[in-house]
Amino acid sequence: MIERLRGPLLALWSAAVLAYLFVPVAIVVLFSFNDNRGRFNFVWQGFTLEHWRHPFDVPDLGPSLVTSLEVAAVAVAGSLVLGTLIALALVRHRFVGRTATNVFVFMPLATPEVVLGASLLGLFITMGVTTGLATIAIAHVMFCISFVVVTVAARLEGMDPHLEEAAADLGADGPTAFRKVTLPLIAPGLAAAGLLSFVISIDDFVITQFNAGQELTFPLFIFGATRQGVPPQVNVLVTMLLLGALVAMFANLAVQRRRSVADR
Amino acid sequence: MARRRLVPYALLAPGLAWLLLFFAVPLATQVYVSLQTGSIEEGYEFAWNWSTYETAVTEYREQFLRSLGYAGTATVLALVIAFPLAYFVAFRAGRWRNLLLLLIALPLFTNFLMRTVAWQTILTDDGFVVDTLRALGLLGDDGRLLATRTAVVAGLTYNFLPFMALPLYASLERIDRGLIEAATDLYAGRVAAFRRVTLPLAMPGILAGCLLTFIPAAGDYVNATLLGSSRTVMVGNVIQSKFLDITDYPVAAALSFVLTLGVLAIVIAALRAVGTRSLSEAAAR
Amino acid sequence: MPEEPIDRIVERMLEGDDLSRRTFLRRLGTAGFAVSGAATLLAACGGAEGGGDEDRDVDVTHPKVPIRNWTFSNWPLYIDPAVIKDFDRRFGARTKYIQDINDNQEFFGKVRQQLQRNQPIGRDLVVLTDYMAARWVRGDYVEPIDKRNVPNVRNLQDNLRSPKFDPERNFTLPWQSGMTGIGYNRKRTGREIRSVDDLFDPRFKGRVTMLEDPHDSAGLVLWSQGVRPEEASIDQVLAAIDKIDEENRKGQIRRFTGNDYTQDLTQGNSWIATVYSGDVFQLREDNPDIEFVIPEEGGVIWTDNMMIPERAAHPYAAETMMNYVYDPKVAAKIAAYVNYVTPVKGVQEELAKSDPELARETLIFPDAATRRKLSPYPDLDAEDERRMIEAMARVTGA
Repeated sequence: MIERLRGPLLALWSAAVLAYLFVPVAIVVLFSFNDNRGRFNFVWQGFTLEHWRHPFDVPDLGPSLVTSLEVAAVAVAGSLVLGTLIALALVRHRFVGRTATNVFVFMPLATPEVVLGASLLGLFITMGVTTGLATIAIAHVMFCISFVVVTVAARLEGMDPHLEEAAADLGADGPTAFRKVTLPLIAPGLAAAGLLSFVISIDDFVITQFNAGQELTFPLFIFGATRQGVPPQVNVLVTMLLLGALVAMFANLAVQRRRSVADR
Repeated sequence: MARRRLVPYALLAPGLAWLLLFFAVPLATQVYVSLQTGSIEEGYEFAWNWSTYETAVTEYREQFLRSLGYAGTATVLALVIAFPLAYFVAFRAGRWRNLLLLLIALPLFTNFLMRTVAWQTILTDDGFVVDTLRALGLLGDDGRLLATRTAVVAGLTYNFLPFMALPLYASLERIDRGLIEAATDLYAGRVAAFRRVTLPLAMPGILAGCLLTFIPAAGDYVNATLLGSSRTVMVGNVIQSKFLDITDYPVAAALSFVLTLGVLAIVIAALRAVGTRSLSEAAAR
Repeated sequence: MPEEPIDRIVERMLEGDDLSRRTFLRRLGTAGFAVSGAATLLAACGGAEGGGDEDRDVDVTHPKVPIRNWTFSNWPLYIDPAVIKDFDRRFGARTKYIQDINDNQEFFGKVRQQLQRNQPIGRDLVVLTDYMAARWVRGDYVEPIDKRNVPNVRNLQDNLRSPKFDPERNFTLPWQSGMTGIGYNRKRTGREIRSVDDLFDPRFKGRVTMLEDPHDSAGLVLWSQGVRPEEASIDQVLAAIDKIDEENRKGQIRRFTGNDYTQDLTQGNSWIATVYSGDVFQLREDNPDIEFVIPEEGGVIWTDNMMIPERAAHPYAAETMMNYVYDPKVAAKIAAYVNYVTPVKGVQEELAKSDPELARETLIFPDAATRRKLSPYPDLDAEDERRMIEAMARVTGA
């Protein structure tokens, strides 16, 4: 009997978990429409589009988002380049210190963010570097590299290494083979890694808190706001970011689907 | 010939240099700081001050154990909750697969702080959830969820659930269906096939998911700040407070070093058990 | 030949008179810059703070320069944004106003290393509470104020003219004062709240929040133990903290908060809390059942102070802002917006013109009877303050 129930039970469980994942997100989106009286946004008081019409009314909010986007752009670019190079080395080559490198690259993931942030700040102070936009960007590139390596390496592993050999046989040298053969094939992996880095960078709070100096990023703004009442405009912007990420993901999926059709 | 051998090192150089300078060196500096004495008024000086480690381990033992406990509980909960979901998406979802994966990843595209703030609204004392639990008798009439460890663990579980579900899915998805079919032919039933074939093959994913959940959870302090109380303070809170507020840098550094070592030990043990290649395989989409 | 006043020299320079540059530099050399030079040397030698504050030369001149970009760091929601706009319009300035001070300790931690290394912290004006202001003055982290640029300082209320940490107000100038008292939800508590001990009424178990800053929390508890906070010894303070610890272990205190006690109160998670007077107006707007009371034993009054961090790039701009907000008209605007206790004389009369009800509000203009019940924070030296903060940190779990 259990056998018979297994199917629907599994589906039901999955639905429940997805709902569970979804509810807080729904609340964030919902409260962007809350017609709140005072400066707090916890109790539903009515529906309004006002906040959507003026999402940047709150001082410092717009600039903080711009700062976050700037940092994210640098983080994605930097980590994609550095991380992909590392991934290529790890997957395609055998060399002395490979295991050690593997472990080393994963270590930032195994280190609590508090530790990463605090120690990096210590370094900057010792070097006499003023913390600000540049130091935030440096920190973000640092912790995104590991994510990129994991994602791109996974994609590389799934790729047939003989394709590169074939290209070499046909007369292509290293960089050309990479450009014309490997790169297109791992492109979805790069896109995924890029999106992942972007999301992680935009969302980062702990490490940024230690290294921001005078700058205010979007999460830093939110944390400050939690003590005084988070304005609904924050909900609006978070929803916009969410929609943006969704669009990007759908686009990536659509491109992938078209590719797989074309490959057939 | 010699040039070919240098290629991997050339590829590694920029990225590794970056990590060395901005990850390894700072950590080493922290060790140096942890052995200092002094205060913010007098200034600090290096003095082989091992007492900071003694303080870290004795005075904050409770917070350490608590952090490991909360993180461990959250990991187990996340595994139990996410596994059936991952299984469903890997084996039963068909063409809805990508959509479901998207839904799983959805929370990750919403700001971490805002998600946790949303939980403050959901779990409020006068809210739907608490009322229901009181009606069901699971909570006393005076009971509450916010400012308790239940809320903190629940927050941790929620926030890291996608990090558990996605690697699980990736690992399950790669399993050759033929193997499972063969297993059901050979063994008595589907449960046995699951236990003997599916589960072991899913191990890399389980490992990856557990690590990606446990490690950040152990060092987290945001959930404890927003959802907890003085009785749920985790070691991350202590480090943050000691570093940013109290500016007791030596003890803060000692605390973070001990935390890092503890977590690292667990990671290395786990990686040894399963092997690092499987980890990157598990992360494949 | 009498030495030329420095503003005259600058004026001539601005008019293009080159000969005076040498004179200008010579004057600078003999005045303030010699002092900072010595301080830098001391700091470089040992990283220690304190450069002999008694002998500090506080006669400094900040020449009048055009105000363009400058940076003002403050607590959130502590100014009417229109005031900044008006200031910018009036002086042709571009003020960068950042609301990044959420906690005294936390802010100090952020900039502490730069201060100790005598590096500029990227801000020209900051606002910090008394005890932190005292620490900065003690540690030589602040620029003296050129009072010539702040004539409106004559509007400073008499009772704030001479704090212990800055008897002549050479380095600090009050921004706002505030009161720490008890906020409670009348409906939930079922009765009026009058005393500090009501916080520990077992009927409110798990429904009480207290501020994590020991200055506030221990301050209130000290009153209930018969001690006036500003006269308390470190042992008395620690005893007060012990009491808080005891109640916390019993589960009486739901949690310790920063400025975020507002959330629990409005949502009904907490019924009674230690709160700041300025938040009450907003709280009442969200939940009309909320009331504020200065406990009958006594309450705490604190002041946030404007200071110019050392090596600030635009001290003149900072002083102009200080002068600007000490104009009663501007101060009235700020008071109406932030709802805290203004340090400027003449605001009550000014406000009565536009908003008579607000001018009568005792939360913004406490009367003499209320003021008698209010005491500033405990006055401790650096070592004792550290002990207090560490003791409280142990109670709050960190």
